[in-house]
Amino acid sequence: MYSYRVSGLEVASEVDLPGLIPGDPNAAPDVTICRAVVPKSLDGATAIGPTWQRADGRFLMHIPHVARFLLEGGQSIAFESEDDAELQDVAVFLSGSVFGVLLHQRNHIVLHASAVLVGDKAVLFCGQSGAGKSTLAAALGEHGYSLVADDQCAIEIGADGIPRIQADGRRLRLWEKSISELGLDDRRGDPMRNRLRKFYVEPVAASDAAVPIGAVYALIEIRGQQEPGIERPNVVEGTRLLVANAYRPMLVHRLDQREVYFRAAAAIAATSGIFRLKRQLGFNEIPATIATLQAHWEDIGLTDGAP
Amino acid sequence: MIPTIWLASYPKSGNTWFRILLANLWSKRDTPADINLIESTDSIASARNPFDQQTLIDSSLMTNDEIDRLRPATYAYAASGETLADPDDPCFPVRFVKAHDAYTLTDRGEPIMAGGRGAAGAILFVRDPRDVASSFAHHMHCSVDKAISRMGDSDFCFAGASDRLDRQFRQRLLGWSGFARSWLDQRDIPVHLVRYEDMLADTPAIALAALRFAGVEPDPSALDRAVAFASIDELQRQEAAGGFREAPRKATSFFRRGKAGGWREELTHEQVARIERDHAAIMDRLGYTRSTIQTEEER
Repeated sequence: MYSYRVSGLEVASEVDLPGLIPGDPNAAPDVTICRAVVPKSLDGATAIGPTWQRADGRFLMHIPHVARFLLEGGQSIAFESEDDAELQDVAVFLSGSVFGVLLHQRNHIVLHASAVLVGDKAVLFCGQSGAGKSTLAAALGEHGYSLVADDQCAIEIGADGIPRIQADGRRLRLWEKSISELGLDDRRGDPMRNRLRKFYVEPVAASDAAVPIGAVYALIEIRGQQEPGIERPNVVEGTRLLVANAYRPMLVHRLDQREVYFRAAAAIAATSGIFRLKRQLGFNEIPATIATLQAHWEDIGLTDGAP
Repeated sequence: MIPTIWLASYPKSGNTWFRILLANLWSKRDTPADINLIESTDSIASARNPFDQQTLIDSSLMTNDEIDRLRPATYAYAASGETLADPDDPCFPVRFVKAHDAYTLTDRGEPIMAGGRGAAGAILFVRDPRDVASSFAHHMHCSVDKAISRMGDSDFCFAGASDRLDRQFRQRLLGWSGFARSWLDQRDIPVHLVRYEDMLADTPAIALAALRFAGVEPDPSALDRAVAFASIDELQRQEAAGGFREAPRKATSFFRRGKAGGWREELTHEQVARIERDHAAIMDRLGYTRSTIQTEEER
């Protein structure tokens, strides 16, 4: 068995999952992953999507020609590969898309975000695929800010009322174009899939502890003459932004988890802040965006904006 | 369940204009709808985020061909009303969805747009290719000659790069002729043809016919108001004031001239001849009169 720690959970897996941080092999696993026969449909399914079915505490996911995954009670994932798919192909979806659904199934607050360390706090950048989350985190890495998480950020509200994110020490996942524009070719690792030009990239430094949240930014692209900058939305808008930036907002609605996200938004608003970061998309704009962020971190008292 | 209708077009052929007209038709305000808040139509069919939300799969880890194989299932799912915020109160009588994809098949032989499972029909917008050329060049921030080459290239795609992530999926356009031919010749769903020039000449009548095709009988005064609120002057005014989020990043403006026949001043004789040579058959079929005489050899 392989042991990993993913979003604060101990994971015991029958298969190697590249890009995850090692866990404690002696700890009782929160989640087990194994190969098994997985049905093509679920008995008593109450909701059926184009690639998934849901019945009580079970979730069936199907990635055609790659694998079927059965998630039960947020505690186990069984998978059966299809059409002689390579294990590498199964593993990237398992540790990304499938695990994200499992976190939702466990009622965790999980944002579609990357995060870096500023002082002793985590700063999150939320957005849809293609919004520039990983690229911004990688660029900040070059300025000395350690990577906390990439793509998925699981948030926990402690007994002290402080929201923290679980570091998952994942390697960065960047497209060839981003890697070359940011000058990271020397740290480029394996392709995530042999057929894709998207690669693992070693971060300069990574954090592996749970970190209190310092700020959450929703990445907003502006065009033309619109003014770049950082805005603080009101509480209602901030809550809406947080739900919209859940890893899978559709599951927040279907699993009736809005209340959990409302509480998280209130806790973040009270202890740090939810903001909109409006900027032009493009590699040339990144230095200006970083300067804007550093000035904002000084304003809101994040250790003078230093790494 | 409300019907789904594709708004299919080669770029720069009046698709966005029609969508803004629809937004104004169903707006309850007495001022023009904000061009950056068009809520009456879905996002473009090739958008990445709705796919990821509906499939729960991170499409950035899929190849273009793998994505294409799953697109029909997502279109059928959306057409079944499952993605509406409130299927019992859909707000609009028709789900209109813009598409710049030509009507093509996946490598398994299934229509990417999912045939009759994906939509009840399609409104196909076409525009004189000689006018498309200069508008497309402006849109793509390239020379008119390059735009003409792309219009004649059946392999040209939007968002086809494999070294980066685009927020839209690869869209096969099949060239200007191939695009129109693919939609007109498919036999899966009914198609209603709208020529940009006709819509410009008599907007209320052409819009009315298109809406009736989609099963909508609009209130005549609401339609007149929508036509006025979607005038080119108003669209240009709004874009100058606040930008247009659907404009390409490099383009200086999206709503350029909004007229027909501008090619007579904008294109050289050689450029006109090249377009007419590349697209002779479909131009004839759509009623666009060619100006240059072509020899048998050139055809």
